[in-house]
Amino acid sequence: MLSIKDLQASINGKEILKGLSLEMGAGEVHAIMGPNGSGKSTLSKVLAGREEYEVTSGTVTYQGVNLLELSPEERAHQGIFMAFQYPVELPGVNNTYFMQASLNAIRKARGEPELNSLNFMKLVRTKLKALEMDESLLKRAVNTGFSGGEMKRNEILQMTLLEPRLSILDETDSGLDIDALRMVSMGVNSLRSPERSMLVITHYQRLLDYIQPDYVHVLSGGRIIRSGDKSLALELEEKGYGWLQEEAAA
Amino acid sequence: MSAALNHYQALAAAAPQTHAYQAIGRERLSLVELPNRKQEAWRYTPLAPVLDHQFTAASREEGLLEPEDIASLRVTPADHVCIVLLNGFFMPELSTLPPQVGLEVLDLEQAIQHSAIGIERLGSLSGACLDLFGAVNAALTGSGAYLRVTEKLTQPVEIIHLNYSFESEVLSNPRVLVQVAANARLNLIEQHAQFADLLSMSNGVTEIFLSEGAQLLHPRLQHDSVRTRHLSHLYVQQAATSVYKGTSLALGSAWSRTEFHLDFVGEHAHCELNGFYLAGEQQMQAMHLDVLHSVPNCTSRETFKGILYGHGKGVFDGNILVKKDAQKTDARLSNDNLLLSREAEIDTKPRLEIYADDVQCSHGTTVGQIDPEMLFYLRARGIPKAEATSLICQGFAAELIAHCEYPALEAKALSILQERLAPVAAKL
Ligand SMILES: Nc1ncnc2c1ncn2[C@@H]1O[C@H](COP(=O)(O)OP(=O)(O)OP(=O)(O)O)[C@@H](O)[C@H]1O
Ligand SMILES: [Mg+2]
Repeated sequence: MLSIKDLQASINGKEILKGLSLEMGAGEVHAIMGPNGSGKSTLSKVLAGREEYEVTSGTVTYQGVNLLELSPEERAHQGIFMAFQYPVELPGVNNTYFMQASLNAIRKARGEPELNSLNFMKLVRTKLKALEMDESLLKRAVNTGFSGGEMKRNEILQMTLLEPRLSILDETDSGLDIDALRMVSMGVNSLRSPERSMLVITHYQRLLDYIQPDYVHVLSGGRIIRSGDKSLALELEEKGYGWLQEEAAA
Repeated sequence: MSAALNHYQALAAAAPQTHAYQAIGRERLSLVELPNRKQEAWRYTPLAPVLDHQFTAASREEGLLEPEDIASLRVTPADHVCIVLLNGFFMPELSTLPPQVGLEVLDLEQAIQHSAIGIERLGSLSGACLDLFGAVNAALTGSGAYLRVTEKLTQPVEIIHLNYSFESEVLSNPRVLVQVAANARLNLIEQHAQFADLLSMSNGVTEIFLSEGAQLLHPRLQHDSVRTRHLSHLYVQQAATSVYKGTSLALGSAWSRTEFHLDFVGEHAHCELNGFYLAGEQQMQAMHLDVLHSVPNCTSRETFKGILYGHGKGVFDGNILVKKDAQKTDARLSNDNLLLSREAEIDTKPRLEIYADDVQCSHGTTVGQIDPEMLFYLRARGIPKAEATSLICQGFAAELIAHCEYPALEAKALSILQERLAPVAAKL
């Protein structure tokens, strides 16, 4: 599904990713943990196509194509979805209109028929219900004045609508209350299938109780310094990152 | 350029004299100075596009349009009152004028001839400013609309201003007088539009008098064709506890200037002035505000936004004057601009002049570009760059346009905006 080899990326001349490699197979869920500032969001944004980041070396292959050559919208059309750590407010842009435009842009790019407003509303309502989201959020401007938790749920709503092949969840659990965490996890789990892969970035082991990962990686200083199964997350919860960073430095 | 002044004086002398008010205009024309960039009010507005043309005065033209032509333009339901001013002339055969309790609508010319209630107020607000175009309007205006509201009207009233003529380079001088009696209420929707891409000029003056407790909701949409010169002067006088909410959307014209003159004469009145302007290609859009707080306890909100692209130029010149006695004034002025090209230009000059000591006043201005974070968010959701850019612009405008509080007009403005921005966004 996704193959990252020796990826190096910088922004404003500052090197953030310093030779990162990661292999993800179809149907797999990978968790990435790591200290603040280690480059987790940078990796997400590079994968989603944020142009401000300069990829200085390395390759990213997604379903056999060179991902780095694609524009952000083309990546979305190919099934990549990133739930933002900090979703962006779009004042004046109606949330429903936005999500319909998004879904239809993707369907159009794939040569599928676009959904009319009526059918879209039906679809969005079922997804909304599953996430126990308030319908009033559909009528508002995208993320504008949303609470932190509402923004995160709105991201997952989009994810369940777009049904991506590769989902990248950047700290979607941060800022969620316990019930919301369960709801969001259910939304994410509902998409798990042999064709879909997920990259779940989190600071907390708790999310991984709900969304059980196949692999856990530790990202530190722009590199993956340790990979393991889900027991690694438990170990990190107990011991922190210090011991791994020392090992990596040695 | 005094050729321009001579030209207007000659037009005034040649105009058919239909009522006494024109004489006042003619006299003023002999006193005024040509507007120039040394005058504060005109410092940022280029004048050549209007002074370099020798427009001819419009006259009443019958049979030019059919009622069906109007039906395609109006945003209110077909059975509601809709007044059509063609080149400034009241056209009863194109208008829809069902009798309505609490509403009096007249051709201004007849209102003057029959001394309709309050007609002596005509020119009392606009006359205070001795400016060329105000005087030209007074001297040349042959007709116009007189509205008097004495009830809380539930149905909106629409005025459609059309510039359309067999002649070329026609100057229209639409004139509107609106009086809303004590505790009465009106939703007045105005459109400025055109049927053909003609070079013409519209020089309008609207005077609005709100009595105690009166309320006026006043959305306006100017979507004239790209060769028009559009000037409108809006004067509002507010008595105690009255509420005025005006939202002016200036999308069309090669050269457009809207002047807002607001005057509080009674306490606890509230005014909301909103404006949106779109200037692209070679367009110039100017918004000029004179808000006068001379009595205590009034509040005003002035919110203006603009989108500029191509070689478009915008001017925002907003003044709020709080006089010594206007204690407890609460006034907030803001102007936000979105620039889509390097060549686009905005001159923004918000000014607060405060002589009272117990007031709450603020002003703020921003000039920005498309936010890359927003653009990336939309693109990451599969929305192509051009469409995403256009969506961000529409969102920026939509917040302001929503102040119209009339969905059919808002939808019309947004669709014009979308049509204009789509090709622009595709090239960014
Ligand atoms: N535009 C920028 N200019 C300079 N440095 C930047 C820029 N954007 C990010 N960085 C730096 O890159 C580093 C990695 O940031 P990133 O957001 O990827 O970290 P993270 O692992 O997601 O952290 P967190 O756990 O706090 O979300 C940080 O040191 C950050 O300050
Ligand atoms: Mg992060």
